[in-house]
Amino acid sequence: MTPPAPRRDKGLVRPYVVTEGRSHPTRNTFDLVTLVLAHEDRPLGGLSPEKRALMELCLGGALSVAEIAGHLMLPVSVVKVLLGDLVDSGHLSTRAPIPSAELPEAQILQEVLDGLRARL
Amino acid sequence: MSDHISQVVIWCLVVAVAAVAVLLTRQRSITAGLRRRVAQLEESVQARDEEIGHLVGVRLPAVADAVSQEVPLPGPLDARLAGTVFAQRLQDVMDLFAQAVEKAQSRADQSAKAALKASMRALQGLAHEQQLAISEMQERHDNPDVLRDLLEIDHANAQFGRRAQAIAVLCGSWPGRQRVASPLTDVVRGATSRIRDYRRVRVHSGQNELAVVSRVVEPVVLAVAELLDNAARHSQPNTTVEVSLQPVHNGACVVIDDAGVGMDGREIQEAVAMLSGRRAVDVSRLGDPPQFGYPVIGVLAARYGFSVSVDTRSPYGGVRAVLFLPSALLTQLELDGPGTTPLRERGRGEEPRHTPTVPAPRGPSRSRTRHPERTHAPQEPPPAYGAGADRPAEDTGTPHTTPRATPRPPVAPHSTDTAHPGDTPTAHPGETPHGADTPQAPGAPHVTGSTAGGLPKRRRRQPAPGQQRHSRPAAPMPPADIPPERSAEETARRMGAFARGTRTGRTGEHRFPPLPGDRDAAGGPTGAHAPTPAEDEGNPHA
Repeated sequence: MTPPAPRRDKGLVRPYVVTEGRSHPTRNTFDLVTLVLAHEDRPLGGLSPEKRALMELCLGGALSVAEIAGHLMLPVSVVKVLLGDLVDSGHLSTRAPIPSAELPEAQILQEVLDGLRARL
Repeated sequence: MSDHISQVVIWCLVVAVAAVAVLLTRQRSITAGLRRRVAQLEESVQARDEEIGHLVGVRLPAVADAVSQEVPLPGPLDARLAGTVFAQRLQDVMDLFAQAVEKAQSRADQSAKAALKASMRALQGLAHEQQLAISEMQERHDNPDVLRDLLEIDHANAQFGRRAQAIAVLCGSWPGRQRVASPLTDVVRGATSRIRDYRRVRVHSGQNELAVVSRVVEPVVLAVAELLDNAARHSQPNTTVEVSLQPVHNGACVVIDDAGVGMDGREIQEAVAMLSGRRAVDVSRLGDPPQFGYPVIGVLAARYGFSVSVDTRSPYGGVRAVLFLPSALLTQLELDGPGTTPLRERGRGEEPRHTPTVPAPRGPSRSRTRHPERTHAPQEPPPAYGAGADRPAEDTGTPHTTPRATPRPPVAPHSTDTAHPGDTPTAHPGETPHGADTPQAPGAPHVTGSTAGGLPKRRRRQPAPGQQRHSRPAAPMPPADIPPERSAEETARRMGAFARGTRTGRTGEHRFPPLPGDRDAAGGPTGAHAPTPAEDEGNPHA
């Protein structure tokens, strides 16, 4: 028998158990594209399984809220509650994404890139 | 002569009188015997009448009642009738009656069970459907207020589903849903999801990686849920229910302690009898209000081979329930590490088709899609990115992908080793336990399976041990024709510097000489190349 691939069964643990019944994140600073960074020095003991999984996910590098939700297979709003807790406990910090208005246009990018390549 | 005549007459008379006297005496004794006999017979008839009255009035009702509770049946009223044919016939009547009652009872029970089972299956199906709908709504709505309401509905729905499921199981149905093998912690928390007072349950799981085989996940969830529900309902609302998971030599135990009222000896005896699963359960005799918990657990335990005992006293004063899972029902899950999040291209209800094709249990490593248009599809993030930031957040999927990438790559797990012509030999830190990373074009999003909605998932790179972490807002931006000797991190750093440079340029605050070629570090079209890599990388932490 092949070992079953690791996968969480989605319907087993319901979201209210994950958030302990809460629906409002402790802080309202999360967006779908907010980037989340884990602090490596924080202990993971005592965290709920979902929070632990979230931390392990984020320890690999910055992730957006939407990506975390996708990987954990949890609703985004539930992930936000968990993120709020983890930011409060100092496990995570957030960083706002680059606003789209400040992103340069592709054409300029291409030109500058070409220029850079020529120089560097 | 006359003397002779009179003498003869006298003798005749004497003989006659004597004969009459003898006859009379005999007659008398015969009459007395007959009287006695008649009295005896009358008495006997009366006794039989009474016996029959007793049969109808006492013994047969007792037989009818005895089906619901075990009581000694009353015997015949008159001991003198014992051993007679009459008593034998009465016993035959009793037996026939008992059989008839039993047959009627079992028939009624069966039809009740069938009716209950069918209706509970229907309710179960509805609860499941509703759960799916609620899950979908939870994914779709981002408003905490809506989520709160949805969580409440979800909770009520889960309890409702459990009730229906328990009754269906009691009526001989299967527990229902097929689950994948799940960690014991998740099984217990899944059970917690289904009871009213889920907030009072504390699960101490420790760090065991025990998992329950898929066949018994749902039965164990149901059994633990019933135990937890009992524990929570029979204890004060301000106490907690402590659950600990303990690996033992022959399997694993789920120990549930409550601080409630406990059970007395008779209750424990009854509970043990029900939990053994040997006693046939009759749905019509579960008491009022019906007590489903222990009979359901007993049925499940007997059917699936685990055992439950409740005859110990908890150190908190209440009941300690121990559910023992033998090793045959346990398995070992290879837990997903940080980099190996479950990659599973599964739409709902489609996974059976794919499960056999995913043999790599922990190496869902670099499963990139094989088709170039797919690898490029998520490579146009700037519009999606900007749009995602502008729009009020309502897509639940990954914002970095376009809907064109939705065709689910069915062969994704197998394409892990496809070499890519444009790949750079840059250093790729081992991100999977195998370390079998294929080199990759810098900045190319790594599609690792897809979400439930069919969108591809991007995999992050992990930094090399020596390198610092990077946040990658700009990572997807570089085009694919980068010279191969430049690492992704370096490119990204340059692009970050460039982005800041253009921003500075547009705001018109030229803190650096704007002349191109003036200084290598700060000049040029980049405007501000001043931040050192260290600053750049420190930035994400800001």
